[in-house]
Amino acid sequence: MERVRHHWIIRLTHWVNVVAVIVMVGSGFQIFNAYPAFARKGELFCCYPWEHQPIPAWLTFGGWLAGARNWHFAMMWVLVVNGLIYLGFVYLHGEWRDLVPRRGDLRDSVQMLSFYALRRSDHPRQGKHNALQKTAYFLMPVVGVLLVLTGLAIWKPVQLAPLTSLFGGFVWARYWHFVATMALVALSVVHVFMVFTVDPYSIRSMITGRYDESMSPEARNARPFRNLRPQSDRVSRNRAGTPQPPAAT
Amino acid sequence: MSGARGSPRVIGGVGRREFLTTGGGIISAALVAACDSRGPKSAERLLRYAERKNLVVERALFRHTAMDVPQRGAHDAGNKLPSYFISKTVPIWNESERGKWTLEVGGLIGNPLRLTLEDLQKLPRVSYRVNHYCVEGWTAIETWTGCRVSDLARLVRAAPEAHYVDFQSFDNGYHESWDIESATHAQTLVAYALDGKLLEPAHGAPARLFGPIKLGYKNTKYLTQVMFLPEANGGFWSDQGYEWYAGV
Repeated sequence: MERVRHHWIIRLTHWVNVVAVIVMVGSGFQIFNAYPAFARKGELFCCYPWEHQPIPAWLTFGGWLAGARNWHFAMMWVLVVNGLIYLGFVYLHGEWRDLVPRRGDLRDSVQMLSFYALRRSDHPRQGKHNALQKTAYFLMPVVGVLLVLTGLAIWKPVQLAPLTSLFGGFVWARYWHFVATMALVALSVVHVFMVFTVDPYSIRSMITGRYDESMSPEARNARPFRNLRPQSDRVSRNRAGTPQPPAAT
Repeated sequence: MSGARGSPRVIGGVGRREFLTTGGGIISAALVAACDSRGPKSAERLLRYAERKNLVVERALFRHTAMDVPQRGAHDAGNKLPSYFISKTVPIWNESERGKWTLEVGGLIGNPLRLTLEDLQKLPRVSYRVNHYCVEGWTAIETWTGCRVSDLARLVRAAPEAHYVDFQSFDNGYHESWDIESATHAQTLVAYALDGKLLEPAHGAPARLFGPIKLGYKNTKYLTQVMFLPEANGGFWSDQGYEWYAGV
């Protein structure tokens, strides 16, 4: 059964966010590389083992420090405005119900992990998203808000001093900005990996909005790289030896 | 995978393989485009537009009452404060060639002045232990001593039309201009001492601008002139693409 899965506002903000995040992270890495360390001059920093090791140049954007800063301080408005539109829509339109953590999510996440680890043979029942997905999609905006706040704190450590103090001062605010970036990158990399290896059909749903529930990972019993094709189809081929159209639903 | 086993799966009229390769291609293309480049040339105008808009926001955020205070327990940089200048060697004022060093205060003012180092030291003296915020991302805590630019402005009777101040140096033409609000902030000093000792050539002797409220590159060392102007006059790094306002 095909239905519209993502409202056009969700689709639009998703892709604007893809561009904004790529530019923000790339230019952020370029900015970081101007001083790839956290220690205040004359001090040591406790909590970063890779002080003075730059991020590989191929991951950076902006060409040089000033270029990267100009991109960073322009794109930040796109990120923030787009993020507010997304959050506002999700709140007003009720989609937040599919995303906020609920009791039982932890148990369901453990079940999903045991399914991916081949310890469980059938895909756990799920709503719009599975419990791991839900957690990731909930954490992304949370990390995003942290990124914006720590970003403001290191942009204006004097004019917004109370905010900077909240994160432990400039050096720590810069550290949390970096850690939050890495968390967002990790969540995004896993998200893209899972889209391509578990539910490539969802890409279309993020472009046209349409999603065929009979192709859902739950319906296909799909793990990374496994059962990419619809379940019913595979079963019918095994029985009759000839492909048949998917059962009407 | 599926190609050898008969008809490829079709998703909305698009083959799955095609679907995957197109999707992957779009994302890889975006990544490649983003890699170690300055971005599209056509974006330059957009970036300059954003800087102009940011300037409005940043000037609106500015408060004279916002003071830089080092974090409790933070250590001074001491001799770890980096030395920076654009000349090939440390700029040193050569008295035998150029005569005694003076600081010229000029522009839209009622009372033009040339101040010797001794004159500067006679002006109300203030010391601030503050952060130095470098555009590169590091900070360094030092104690700067000197006179406030706001006191200088009062002394020379700066005109109300002087909305900007240009700070010039003898470091190969290095200069940076400031908005008047930031220049007359209480912590913006013409500094002649660092950590209780007269400035050394490595850090801008005989006198330099120091204010924690702007990034390091706005703080001209090796001062020669303080010019009160009706318009901004760019700056060494601002003219090369670094943000002109650079307030923190």
